[in-house]
Amino acid sequence: MASKDIVTYRTPASVLAAVASVVFVVVFLLWTVLPLFIMFVSSIKDLLEAFKLPAVGDWSGIGVFFDFTPTFKHYVDLFQDEKFGTYFFNSVVSALGSAAISVVLGSMAAYALSRAEFRGKKDLFFWVISTRMAPVVAVMVPLFAIFRYAGLVGTLPGLVIAYTTFNLPFAIWILKGFFDNVPYEIEEAAMVDGSTRFQAFKGIIPLVSPGIGAFLVLCVLFAWNDFLFASIIGSGGAKTLPVATSGLVQPQNIQWGKIMAAGVVTTMPMMLLGLVIRRYLVTGLTMGAVRG
Amino acid sequence: MTKVKLVDVWKMYGKVPAVRDLSFECESGEFLCILGPSGCGKSSTLRMLAGLEHISAGDIRFDERRINDLPPKDRDIAMVFENYALYPHKTVFDNMANALKLRGMATDEIRGRVQKAADLLQIGALLDRRPQELSGGQKQRVAIGRAIVRNPRVFLFDEPIGHLDAKLRGHMRGELKRLQRELATTTIYVTHDQLEALSMADRIAVMNEGVLQQIGTPQEIYNHPANEWVASFVGEPPMNFLDVEIGTGGSETEVVVRCGGMQVALTDVHRAALDGARGGARLGIRPEALQVSGTADGPHWTAGTIYAVEPLGGDTLVEVAFQGGRVLAKTSADFVGAMDDPIYVSVDRTKLHLFDSGDGRALT
Repeated sequence: MASKDIVTYRTPASVLAAVASVVFVVVFLLWTVLPLFIMFVSSIKDLLEAFKLPAVGDWSGIGVFFDFTPTFKHYVDLFQDEKFGTYFFNSVVSALGSAAISVVLGSMAAYALSRAEFRGKKDLFFWVISTRMAPVVAVMVPLFAIFRYAGLVGTLPGLVIAYTTFNLPFAIWILKGFFDNVPYEIEEAAMVDGSTRFQAFKGIIPLVSPGIGAFLVLCVLFAWNDFLFASIIGSGGAKTLPVATSGLVQPQNIQWGKIMAAGVVTTMPMMLLGLVIRRYLVTGLTMGAVRG
Repeated sequence: MTKVKLVDVWKMYGKVPAVRDLSFECESGEFLCILGPSGCGKSSTLRMLAGLEHISAGDIRFDERRINDLPPKDRDIAMVFENYALYPHKTVFDNMANALKLRGMATDEIRGRVQKAADLLQIGALLDRRPQELSGGQKQRVAIGRAIVRNPRVFLFDEPIGHLDAKLRGHMRGELKRLQRELATTTIYVTHDQLEALSMADRIAVMNEGVLQQIGTPQEIYNHPANEWVASFVGEPPMNFLDVEIGTGGSETEVVVRCGGMQVALTDVHRAALDGARGGARLGIRPEALQVSGTADGPHWTAGTIYAVEPLGGDTLVEVAFQGGRVLAKTSADFVGAMDDPIYVSVDRTKLHLFDSGDGRALT
């Protein structure tokens, strides 16, 4: 069992620590939740109402923040005028597509690295991990040149491939640990029973599914929130939500209402995903750490 | 019913030989145990039989057909692993049915075979459970059930009862032996426990450091060990070993054992065997071949001191110290004696073993 009761004794220092931790949690919650709250509330306010502020020092005027008539016109304008439906689709396809490819290829590579013994295995594994050590911006120029040469710039397949380049090493790295924790005798028993090696591999996928699930979510998260690849590789025909949102900052004006609505559209799916799978995410991320 | 034959089999892990020039046969329907300490090559041998390891050199034949290059799924063998290797995400039924489903058997037939095997192993009530809900003994039965539903040509057991408690191990030894008799399937069983091997096997192949030391029935291995190593490994409590110095006197050749002057008179067979010793010789005496008494009851009783007494319930082990050494004797439960008491020891000379001091081979 990972957690247990910690025996504590009440001392002046422990009382102080308890008070300080409550203060910290309140400040932290405000720090993290307040921007999201303001973004959501602003997205359903008319622009004039969004910029209504109480006078400095006037704490009684705080009610002005909540004195508004909700409107969804920013969302309507976003999807009708700014074609955010297309960008939403691009984000979904590029995130899910790269996650799916990374999981399929990554699980097979991770399995091979976990089970097979061959010369250069440790070097190969280190090379795979090392591709994630370099900052992406450092390789952006040559990567852009390669993608342009291949005619992939501004295309959805190009963006999927770009995301896969940094998701796949991560998949191999994470999933190898999960495969290492599955006893090899299970596959041997399957092969003696009549399975081929590939069938035996498929047979143990359910045993690493928490890890695969956790990795899929992280993969989707990375791709969904990415700006760099999307702005350079995906520019034009494969614009995604983060890039499209930055495009709402025009030289002539900043479309605050639409920006706030775009922020909600971009963050809500990931927040909902996190809420739905949070229990499995912790299980999946910690399962590989402890030998059963 | 299949005969299994190993001919000059080697297994190398890099440059390290795990199995060296191994040759033996397991007859059709026979229960053969491969016995040896950890690292002796017994599991490597079993895994080569299963096709889970490549054979570095030599041949393995099933009914004279060379199977070196056949993958495990095509050898028609069933294996029970040391850690059971059950599929944790499947029920007991699905674990047992897995091999039959892979072979495309009809659902009704699968159900019938699984139920029959489950009834035989008394696990019929567990078919809907998952492995994590089972005890060790139940898991082991499921692993055996997974093997027997297939009706294979050969059973391979890799220390299947090693993780059970002593009482359950004792119970399962009898169950496994009976099961093998009923099924009459050729069985090769690997263990490091000499009690398991002696009690269950038709024949035992004893291995050490990758080399086959001896193959024979349990009685042959116990009563006529081929060398000093086999003699020391098989038998609980272990055999006593004493250096031999030959003296002559009277009408018999008196063998004086270098252990405080313990006197042992040899039979003609032993005397002739000593002539075959290239260097010195070592005398092996099993604890049950030694008699202990408070008085010297004859001419060949040697005086010593009780070093330790271990009552075992049905027997008593008495360790006797002589000048420069000790021997362990097994006597009856009603033995009376305390530490440092004087004691006399005699040897049943029909149960002596002589070994060459140089290479350890048996001289008798």
